[in-house]
Amino acid sequence: MKIVFYALIIFLPSFLFTAGEYRCGSIECDSFESNVSDKASLQRGLSTYMNYCYGCHSLKYSRYKRVAEDLEIPLELYENNLIYDGSKIGELMEISLTKNDAIEWLGAYPPDLTLEARLRRPDWIYTYLRNYYPDASRPYGVNNRVYQNVNMPHVLEDIQNNLSQVEYDQVIFDLTNFMTYVADPSAEQRKRIGTYVLLFLIIFTAFAYLTYREFKKDLK
Amino acid sequence: MSENTIGKKSIDWVDRRFPIVDLFERHLSKYYSPSNINIWYLFGFLLLIVLVMQILTGLWLMMNYTNTAEGAFSSIEYIMRDVDYGWLIRYMHAGGASAFFALIYLHMFRGMMYGSYQKPRELIWVGGWFVYVLLCAEGFTGYVLPWGQMSFWAAQVIISLVGSIPYFGEDLAIWIRGDYIVSGITLSRLFAFHVVLLPILIIAVVFFHILALHEIGSNNPDGIDVKKHTDQDGVPLDAKPFFPYDITHDFYALGVFLLIFCTVIFFFPEGGGYIIEYVNYEPANPLSTPAHIVPSWYYTPFYAMLRAIDFPLFGLTAKFLGFVVMAAGIAIFAALPWLDRSPVKSIKYKGIYSKFFLTSFVISFFVLAYLGSVPPTETKNLLAKVFTFLYFSYFLLMPIYTRFEKCKPVPERVGETA
Repeated sequence: MKIVFYALIIFLPSFLFTAGEYRCGSIECDSFESNVSDKASLQRGLSTYMNYCYGCHSLKYSRYKRVAEDLEIPLELYENNLIYDGSKIGELMEISLTKNDAIEWLGAYPPDLTLEARLRRPDWIYTYLRNYYPDASRPYGVNNRVYQNVNMPHVLEDIQNNLSQVEYDQVIFDLTNFMTYVADPSAEQRKRIGTYVLLFLIIFTAFAYLTYREFKKDLK
Repeated sequence: MSENTIGKKSIDWVDRRFPIVDLFERHLSKYYSPSNINIWYLFGFLLLIVLVMQILTGLWLMMNYTNTAEGAFSSIEYIMRDVDYGWLIRYMHAGGASAFFALIYLHMFRGMMYGSYQKPRELIWVGGWFVYVLLCAEGFTGYVLPWGQMSFWAAQVIISLVGSIPYFGEDLAIWIRGDYIVSGITLSRLFAFHVVLLPILIIAVVFFHILALHEIGSNNPDGIDVKKHTDQDGVPLDAKPFFPYDITHDFYALGVFLLIFCTVIFFFPEGGGYIIEYVNYEPANPLSTPAHIVPSWYYTPFYAMLRAIDFPLFGLTAKFLGFVVMAAGIAIFAALPWLDRSPVKSIKYKGIYSKFFLTSFVISFFVLAYLGSVPPTETKNLLAKVFTFLYFSYFLLMPIYTRFEKCKPVPERVGETA
C-alpha cells in the first residue's frame, strides 16, 4: 500500500505535466508517411501550395527550376502557369509580400516554409492542416487544435467544404508530401547513392576482412 | 624486388635526401604493438580517419559558406540545394562531428579501463585529453555556424556562463562575444576559430599524441610491459609490427565503421534530431527563445552537471558553481595518471573497488547524458545531483580505493597466468 502511495507521489506530477503537451499541441500527431517518389502527388501538392499558400509563404531557399525538374514538369509549362511575378525560372521562390505590409495587414509576417517539414516534421503539418475548427472568439472565426490561437486563417476552408473528408485528406497529404520534398530535395538522390555506397562498402569490408584474416595466420 | 627497378631507385634517391625508409620502419614496419590488443585498440586509427574527413569536408564547405549573420543560414541551404553534392559534404561533416565524439569517448574509456594513462604514458594521456578539450571547442564553434535557432541560443547560453565569473565575468563575456549579445561579430570570430586556430591546434596535439605513443608503445588489455622480454635483436617477443598486421586489422575496422557511418548519413542524416537538431532549421532569432535549449548529445553529461548545481554557496552564484563543476568534469580526466595509485594497470587485475567505481562512472555518464538532453524536473534534478556526485567520486576517491584494494598478480608474459 505504501509503495502505491509513494509511486503515486513520484509519478503523479509527471502525468500532470505531460497532459496537453503533445508535440502536436492539444492532440497527438496523426501518423504521416511521406512518399516523395510519387511525382503526381508532389505535382498536386505544388499546385495547392502555389495557389493557396504562396501568396504569403515564400519558399525562398528553393528555386523554381529545381522544383520543376525534380517534379518532372516541363520548364515552359512551369514558367507559364506557376510563376506569377515574372521571375526567371532559375530564381529563388520569393514572394512580393513585404514584411511591413504583412505586419500591417495580418499582424505578423508569415514565415518562409521551405524548411517547415524539417523544423516541425511532416506529421505535424499534416495534423495541423486537418485540425482547424470554428471558434467565434478568434478574429477569423477559426482556431486550431495543433497550434492554439494561430494567426493564420483557414485558407483551405473552401476546399474542405466542397470535398468529402477522404478527398480533403488527400489534398492535405499531397500538400504535406510536397512540403516534405521541398524541405529536403536531395532525399531521393541521397537514398539512391547511399544504396550503392553501402554495396561497395560491403565488398570493401569483405576483402578487408579476408586480408586481415590472411595476415593473422602468420601470428599463429 | 630487384636492385634496379624504378621504384627502388626512386626510394633510394629520396632516402639520401629525406629519411623516408627510416620513418617507415620506425613508425610502421618496425613499430611493435602487443600481440594481445583487442578491438578496443581500433578507435585511435578510426579517429585519425575521421579527423582527415572533417578537414577535407570542412574545406569544401568553407568554399560556399558565408560567415555573416545575414548570409550564414541561407548559405547552408545553398550548399544543401545548389552546390553539387553539397548535401553529402554537409551530412558527412555534421555526422562526422557526432562520430568523432562517439569514437573519442570509446577511445578514452579504453584508456581508463586498461590503465593506459599510467606511468610511463602520462603525457600520451594528457595530450589526448587536450585533443578532447580542443574538440569540444571545435564542436561548439562549428555548431554555431549554421546560425539556426539552436546555434544562436546554445552560443548565448554557453558564452553567458563566462559572465557568471565573479568581478570580471561580464566584461570577459562581452570581450568574447565582441557584442552585448551573440551577434554576427561573434559568428565571424567563432568561424575563424573553427576553421583556422582550433584545427591547427588539434593537428599539432594529435601529432604530439602519436609521437609520444610511438616512443613508449601501446599498452594492452593485461597491462603487461611487452618491452621487458625481447629477442637478441631487441624485438619484443609478445608483439607484432604495426605494418602489416595492425594496419590490415584497422582497415577491416574502417570498413565496418564506414558501413555504420554511411547508413546514418545517407538514410538518417538528422540522426533523429541528435546529429542535426530540428529546431536549427529555423533561422537564428534573438527575440524568440526556443522552449528547450539543449546542447548536442556529446555535451549533455556536462550540461546536466551544470544544471544540477542550482544552489549558491560561499557567496558564489549557482550559475558560477555549475560552470565550475561542468569545467571540472572535463578537466579532471587530465589528473587520472596521478589519481591512480594502483600497482597494476588493467581493470582485469585491479580489485573490486576499482571495478565498482568504473562501472558507476559509466552508468553516471549515461544517466547524465540522458538528463542533460531532457527538460529538467524536480526529480530529474535530484538524480542529476546524485549522479554528478558518483561521476566525481570515481576520480576523487581513486587515490584511496586504488591504494588499499587487493589486486590480482599480473603475468610476466602475454598468454601466461601469474
